[in-house]
Amino acid sequence: MKKAARISKMKQQSWPDWIRERDDPRIAHTKPEALDDITVLDLSSKSFAGCLCSSLLAEFGAEVLRIEPPEGDFLRICTPYGMLYKGEGLNYLTEGRNKFHITLDLSKPQGREILQDLVAQVDVLIETYRPGTMDEWGIGYEQLKEINPGLIFASITGYGQFGPMSQSRMPDYDNIAQARSGIQSGTGEVMPEGKSYNECPWAVPTKAGPWIAWSVAGTFMAVGILAALYWRGITGEGQALDAASGEAYARLDDYAALWYYDTGIIGERFGNLDVCAFLYCFAPTKDGAVFLGGLRLEMWQAFADMVGKWDEWDAASWTSLSFFMQKDEQLKWSALIFGETRKYTNEELVRMSIEYAKKGRLAPITPVVAPVCSPEEAMKDANWLDRGIFIPTQDPVYGELIAAQAQHKMTESPIRTKWVCRPVGYDNEHIYPKYLGWGPSKLKELKQKGII
Amino acid sequence: MAKETWKNYKENKSFKPPPLKGIRVLEACTILLGPAGPAFLGAMGAEVIKCELPPRGDTVRQMAPFGHFFRDQAPAAVHINTNKYWLGLDLHKPEAQKIFCELAAKSDIVEDNMRPGTMEKWNIGYRQLKEINPGIIYIAKNGFGQWGQYAEENRPSNDGAAQALSGYAWMSSFPSRPPLKSRLYVCDTYGALMGELAVLAALHFRSRTGKGQFIELSQTENIMRTMSWIWPYQQITGKVARPTGNRDVSICPADTFRCADDAFVAIAAPAPAEFKGLCTAMGKPELAEDPRFKDHVTRLEEKNATAILKIIADWVRTRKPEEVEDLAENYGFAASRVYTSKDVVEDAHFRDRGFMTKIDDPFLGPYDEYEFPVMMSQSPPKVKWSVRAVGFDNEYVMKHFLDTSEDDIKKLYQCGALGKWADVQGCRPPPNWDGKAGVLMAKD
Repeated sequence: MKKAARISKMKQQSWPDWIRERDDPRIAHTKPEALDDITVLDLSSKSFAGCLCSSLLAEFGAEVLRIEPPEGDFLRICTPYGMLYKGEGLNYLTEGRNKFHITLDLSKPQGREILQDLVAQVDVLIETYRPGTMDEWGIGYEQLKEINPGLIFASITGYGQFGPMSQSRMPDYDNIAQARSGIQSGTGEVMPEGKSYNECPWAVPTKAGPWIAWSVAGTFMAVGILAALYWRGITGEGQALDAASGEAYARLDDYAALWYYDTGIIGERFGNLDVCAFLYCFAPTKDGAVFLGGLRLEMWQAFADMVGKWDEWDAASWTSLSFFMQKDEQLKWSALIFGETRKYTNEELVRMSIEYAKKGRLAPITPVVAPVCSPEEAMKDANWLDRGIFIPTQDPVYGELIAAQAQHKMTESPIRTKWVCRPVGYDNEHIYPKYLGWGPSKLKELKQKGII
Repeated sequence: MAKETWKNYKENKSFKPPPLKGIRVLEACTILLGPAGPAFLGAMGAEVIKCELPPRGDTVRQMAPFGHFFRDQAPAAVHINTNKYWLGLDLHKPEAQKIFCELAAKSDIVEDNMRPGTMEKWNIGYRQLKEINPGIIYIAKNGFGQWGQYAEENRPSNDGAAQALSGYAWMSSFPSRPPLKSRLYVCDTYGALMGELAVLAALHFRSRTGKGQFIELSQTENIMRTMSWIWPYQQITGKVARPTGNRDVSICPADTFRCADDAFVAIAAPAPAEFKGLCTAMGKPELAEDPRFKDHVTRLEEKNATAILKIIADWVRTRKPEEVEDLAENYGFAASRVYTSKDVVEDAHFRDRGFMTKIDDPFLGPYDEYEFPVMMSQSPPKVKWSVRAVGFDNEYVMKHFLDTSEDDIKKLYQCGALGKWADVQGCRPPPNWDGKAGVLMAKD
């Protein structure tokens, strides 16, 4: 196509239409996969970080062989309120996606020999055992790199592979990592004046509900693995990777360490206001609460204008946001702001913001207004349904199941969820013959011995 | 042995090349969701050129806790902008757009976090750049993605909006209390991280096929992806998922408890040996055999979980956090004090690993910073420097990357395509800056 013709075609089609035609998750299955030349062994044990890490690679098409002990990974029974669906816990059910599930007892020498035969054929190994365990078993990095020098050996643990705490006996759990990160201590409701913990047991350092520290650790490791693959592409070298859940989550923290370093101030809980940002809070409304955001002075001014307070609050005279960020000013202004937001419903405030962007004095500048939703409201929101995040997976074993997917959308090699999970050892009869050439009698023999 | 693999890792870091050496990233991003991504790549050795609107630059430059600036720099800006070159470029101007295109022609990755269509309006959108560089990997991150109702209504977004809309804040509060915003900008920084996963996968795809591509990431959708059980739970039961404060409803016991000195300690002990260890540490080994608590699935049931957590809470209430941590170590369950930022900065283990590290920055002076959290034995990532004044590296970028003459640079300043900092806190150099420290020479 000639350049002029191309430009005119571009003008014909709006950007949202053009891009949706190319990256709608509904057409992902028609496109190639980015990592379908990569094979991964996931040995992770009792770790959502490990499971998510291999899921993220499997979504891109990597062939992931998920190795569990013959009785299954403990993570399968880490499930809300003990709820099982078709025999599986709900967390594992969402992160078994696209993986082949095989069993292998690594506590037995023969199991470890079989592992070495698999290691020779893969690119990446993910493990989450206590540091030293793999070495003791004779399948640590130094041992396996003799078999496969290009191997990328990824360990995710509570405290990492080296340093004084690395020899700790303590296992890695999400709530421990959240506590260790420094983030939980600064999150939570402020104790009302004159009250105590006994009266207000909710005014305490508060962790996030979802397994965010584990998720962040698994995602960082997936990023590290892809960087190590890139490096291997250039040098031919494999390597060992080490991530600790508490560190990974802490790395997402922002100003807190530098603030402490510079001033000695330890950030305390500030409820639904924000120590480091203004306008930035959850504000109560007639029927719930909204998030209000305006990190530019003009957006804060636009908010004042939107609720009819331009003159009364003298918004035209404001010159800097950092003034409003001071603690006393935040407390003073948030009381005034909440007085206004309580007059409206969530929906009214959202519409006011959209309208302000069209007709307001400072348009197209407008404050961010977003309703605080329950996950039930989120799951019914037409916008998200349209964008494909909740497309149910038609799973051959578990039926139609909603596991969130399509967190990013890509034009050439998008992610997809092919199946959500598999029962323990489901793929033994497929994977062992494929990789190790075993026939039915060998499979039977090893099953009887309890190796697989 | 692992000991051999990681021997002197911290000390030897600087003598090994980083994994993304040779990759170039062009950034047109502001605040956190955008800039955090290139910073992750920068820590892994990619060369990142950050374009900012002069003279005030990125909005993050005003994000200062309770208004406190560190040597005239906003603490939020310092942490989020690792290892970048700073270009003051007014992309509203055609001359600046031309520079952006020239840089894009020599880059592997372009990142923006504008609202949809903005870059195209400036003639530097994906459709325009891929004509110049068909191998380009372009990622756009924002609140609502590139299409759909909210994107088309042109709604702005922030981290807090994503925490609100996804149900994440709802799930992170105590029962019958209002939904709670995390002080962490989690949807921004975690969104940025997930974006880089897609970028690196796209890089792998490009090395196999030669093809570049466009990637979009919505910070709200990304945080929903991590809310694992919540969606199938709602689908299967038809009920809304409920918040449970510090109690982990999928792991029992796992909660945060108040100690004797009003400090807090988190405990987790779900696996059989761990639970037994905890019961023994509490002096109640018989609890491990109690039919209510014996196996994990039964123990997770509401009434049983409530019962065991009450027993643990009463036990912790008269103890100090250090005591609980020691018992956890001895009996093989997990416990940690709820660390403050002071604890994190001063933790001997984090220091020993080089996770908490001292940066000696010629421009900013010394400060404490978190290292990239994936340690890599052969190609270690490394934080080297951070924020600079707006337009600080203009000359370096223009000469080193584009070989622009002094005369042409002068013209670009005259027409306003290039610019430097305003004399405002957050935008300008530190007060004691000597006019030289940190300046890069074109031939460096």
